[in-house]
Amino acid sequence: MAAAARALRVLPRALPGPARLLHTSPTCLKTRAARVRVGKGDKPVTYEQAHAPHHIAHRKGWLSLHTGNLCGEEGAAERAVEDTFLRRFLFGTFPGLLQDEVVLKRRGNLLVVCALLSRALPPHKIYFLVGYTETLLSHFYKCPVRLELQTVPARVVYKYL
Amino acid sequence: MAAGRAGAGCWQRALWLSRRCRLQAGPESYRCSSSSTALGKAVDSSEVTEEEIVLPRRKTWNKLAVLQTLASTVNRDPTAAHYMFQDDPFLMPRNAANSRLYSLSKESGRNAAKYIVKNFPQYFDKTFAEPNVPCLMPETLTPQTEGVSEEALKERIKLRRVKESVDIFDQLVQAGTPLSLETTNSLLDLLCFYGDEESTSENEEEAKKDLEEPGVNASEEKAPKRQFQRGLQSSGPRWRDNNHAERIFKIMPERNAHSYCTMIRGMVKHGAFAKAYDMYIDLLNERHKADVHTFNALIRAAPILKEKFTERWELTKEFLTHMAQQEVQPNLLTFNAVLKALRRCGGVGRSMALLVVKEMEALDIEPSLATYDHLLSIFYRGVDLPPSGIISEVLDEVEKRSFTPQDPDDANFFSTAMQVCCDLKDIKLAYRLNKGMEKGDNWKFLDMDRLNGYWSKFFSLLCMMEQIEVVLKWYKEMSPSLFYPTPKNILDLLQALDAANQLEVIPAVWEDVKQLGFTRRQELLEEFLSLMSRDQHPDEIQLAFAKCAEDIKAAHEPAGREQVPLEWTGSTLGNVVVLFSRAGRTQDAWNMMELFQQTNRIPTDKVMNEFLNCAKQTNCPEESIKLVKLAASLGLPSSHRLKSRTEEEFELSEIQKKTLESIKWDGDSSDSDSSDSDSDRE
Repeated sequence: MAAAARALRVLPRALPGPARLLHTSPTCLKTRAARVRVGKGDKPVTYEQAHAPHHIAHRKGWLSLHTGNLCGEEGAAERAVEDTFLRRFLFGTFPGLLQDEVVLKRRGNLLVVCALLSRALPPHKIYFLVGYTETLLSHFYKCPVRLELQTVPARVVYKYL
Repeated sequence: MAAGRAGAGCWQRALWLSRRCRLQAGPESYRCSSSSTALGKAVDSSEVTEEEIVLPRRKTWNKLAVLQTLASTVNRDPTAAHYMFQDDPFLMPRNAANSRLYSLSKESGRNAAKYIVKNFPQYFDKTFAEPNVPCLMPETLTPQTEGVSEEALKERIKLRRVKESVDIFDQLVQAGTPLSLETTNSLLDLLCFYGDEESTSENEEEAKKDLEEPGVNASEEKAPKRQFQRGLQSSGPRWRDNNHAERIFKIMPERNAHSYCTMIRGMVKHGAFAKAYDMYIDLLNERHKADVHTFNALIRAAPILKEKFTERWELTKEFLTHMAQQEVQPNLLTFNAVLKALRRCGGVGRSMALLVVKEMEALDIEPSLATYDHLLSIFYRGVDLPPSGIISEVLDEVEKRSFTPQDPDDANFFSTAMQVCCDLKDIKLAYRLNKGMEKGDNWKFLDMDRLNGYWSKFFSLLCMMEQIEVVLKWYKEMSPSLFYPTPKNILDLLQALDAANQLEVIPAVWEDVKQLGFTRRQELLEEFLSLMSRDQHPDEIQLAFAKCAEDIKAAHEPAGREQVPLEWTGSTLGNVVVLFSRAGRTQDAWNMMELFQQTNRIPTDKVMNEFLNCAKQTNCPEESIKLVKLAASLGLPSSHRLKSRTEEEFELSEIQKKTLESIKWDGDSSDSDSSDSDSDRE
């Protein structure tokens, strides 16, 4: 019993009770997202890049169109992950050719990828990449994937910031 | 309400006014009448100042008008390329070579993706789609059973692994394990089908053949036919002597009819025809019965086994009698094989072909397009043929129904038929053939290459037979969406324009030619230039022609790349000079004239005269003197006449006259004397 009492006295500090803690998360930088900062006036910027996120639905459209965010619909997170993968995949498969952000449209089962390319590669090489992308992505996502391309001679500059 | 009351008030006032007028009608009638007339006049004049409003008549629309308008928008877009290409001006193919190249590139991209899916199946085998899509899953091609056993052999055969199956079979035979007859037969089937080569190298060859026959819309139909067709063509794998199939056949302890049959079919497929016949004799000696596929293969081999027409037919008849004896029912492919053999039997074929078709009808077998293809070839493609009316009957049949592919040779029907129409020079038959092609699924029989050839022949026929408006309408609608014109088509079009005297369309055709990439074809350029420079035309057309001539000139100059510049011929050079002269471009014309000396060509009289006319119109006597000098240096007989013309028609200064006199040319002292006397007189 004395030993027990001694043990009690020797106990380290008590378990912490209610305390004030600080919870940190990575910084969100909401005021800097998707905004191109104004510079000296020599930075060419497309229409998409020039407009900040609060202009979506006012001056800009969406880059990814799906029904996952509607009330009662599921799968928004999966669509977001797929979108990220698709953008990286296309950025790598069409090296240096993408002139603007890729627009992804989902209609039912079909995934339509609308990309704006430059004319740096001859057309038969672009068709090779188109066939490759369509088939590979179809097999990867188990749904028909269609690529709709438009080529421009140079990047379409909206203004210089 | 207020308005109503006000209106009523007005109306009442108006009534009261009129009553007042009438009341005062008696003593002051004139005043009233004057006031009324004044009123009336005022009203009249106001009416006159107003414009006549003409109400339009009410339009009555047809009940179906809206639907018809909508339907008219759903036609084929004549400016769009094929559906498989991207709709972008940079990515749209402009000529036949490009369209083939792009479709092949797309197909090879697909093959690259399939290669990756096949080699890294672990990334593609998650089944998260509901329901599962089996065609988008990677194929499981690795055999599951290990070891050397009959099950392992059966599995390898199922997976089409030729070499491994043969290895396992050899190991089993050495170990002494008894193998069932069925397994050995299925191994023989595999070997005979693939011609004793590996199926994956077969796949690569298949891919190469894919590259030679791009046809995305017809590829589904052609997939089962592809191996079939290639087997009989000369570029398939050849049957080697004593290959695995023969070896295994020899060491088989027992053989049944199936073994013999499959060996015969494999030998015919891969070109060992004599061996196939010997194998058939063995089969007969063993008192086995062959099946219908074997007989089809043998009939196909008959024309190659014998040389003379009658012998071929006799051999075919022999096979058919054996078939009847062994009570094997012939099918469509049998009759098609017979007709194909008859194609190579000349006159015998012609007499027998219709009997064969009647036999088919008697047995209630529907003919396929291949039947008609063979019939047309027998009756229309050959030398010294008597005329026949088979084609109309064939077209009657084709127009009636939509065909399904049943024979590899079905795909050739439309090309053959269109060729026959062209040979017969009958445009009405061609229209009927087009209608037959548009019926139902018949369009699927034409893949990209055949489509181009078909429409190309049709267009040539049109140019020959139809009026120019119809030709131009078809041209606008068909190219570049349906087909890409060949150089022959362009030549035919030019001839048709010439016949109809509508040469002003030529600059537009030249633009198309530039787009198609035919600007370096010598015969096309000659035709263009000769047509443009033959007659004088009004001024704008002449200017347009001169621009075309400039493009053609650019094609003849060194382009700086590896392209060798085209050689000038006398006629092309002369025509270019004529065209420049007629448009008043003297300097350009003179540059061309200088080229005559460089390229060692002689200008004709017409060219020189045209140039002089141009110089006169643009008032450049210097040029004319230079021309006379050139003519003299080339030693042309017309140079004297040119000199006299220059003297007469131009106002020359003293220096110019002296230069003209001093031009020396060989011979003719009398002329120089007269010129001396002239100068003396001056």
